[in-house]
Amino acid sequence: MFEIESAGDGTIVLSGRLDAAQARKAQEFLDGVACPRELDCTRLEYISSAGLGVLLRTQKRVMGQGGGLRLVNVSNHIRDVFRYSGFDKIFVIESIPESG
Amino acid sequence: MREAFSRSLESLEQIFGFTERFFAGRDIEERHRYAVNLVIEELFSNMVKYNASGAGNIEVEMRHQDGGVQVRLSDRESVPFDVTAPRAVDPEAPLERRRSGGLGLFLVQKFVDSLDYAYRDGTSTITFTRNLDKDDVRD
Repeated sequence: MFEIESAGDGTIVLSGRLDAAQARKAQEFLDGVACPRELDCTRLEYISSAGLGVLLRTQKRVMGQGGGLRLVNVSNHIRDVFRYSGFDKIFVIESIPESG
Repeated sequence: MREAFSRSLESLEQIFGFTERFFAGRDIEERHRYAVNLVIEELFSNMVKYNASGAGNIEVEMRHQDGGVQVRLSDRESVPFDVTAPRAVDPEAPLERRRSGGLGLFLVQKFVDSLDYAYRDGTSTITFTRNLDKDDVRD
């Protein structure tokens, strides 16, 4: 189960599992957003290399326009995937704030 | 636990259901579950991508033993593809030189403790283990 929707003002909300079966859906949605600015990952449970590929293509487009994607509320597990692929160097990533 | 899945990315939802049933009731941390799911997805997707015309199902077998999770994927109608070969991915490269190709197997090699590939009589068998006592992903 994967959902992607716009929350306005360039913010895109991702939820569920962004795997290889869902990558096309994500890419088509993001391609339809003129200037995506922030990806809210609060409810994103999982991402694989197929999902990273979607974000990479989108980041290239957005940076070509002078912008840049920011990922917010990223879980530790997903952050690990970004870190080990080196994607933490090409996105601004903000983790979920520590509770308590 | 063992189950066969049709050769399609659409099978991923069923595969994640299968791994969830495997993990249910076992004392395995979420970070290990995530890693095992990711590695299975990358290997399965690779089998689908590079042998889309194969007719048979792809079998996934999971075991919890010796302080780790061992997973075996078998494709009886495959072409040779050694997933253990090093992947030419530079995680330090700037954005303009980044490509998504090869990234999946690069991550696989980061997230497992052992990875074996065997090809015999048309059957590809990939076996990986993820140890459950490690603190972090392998560098």
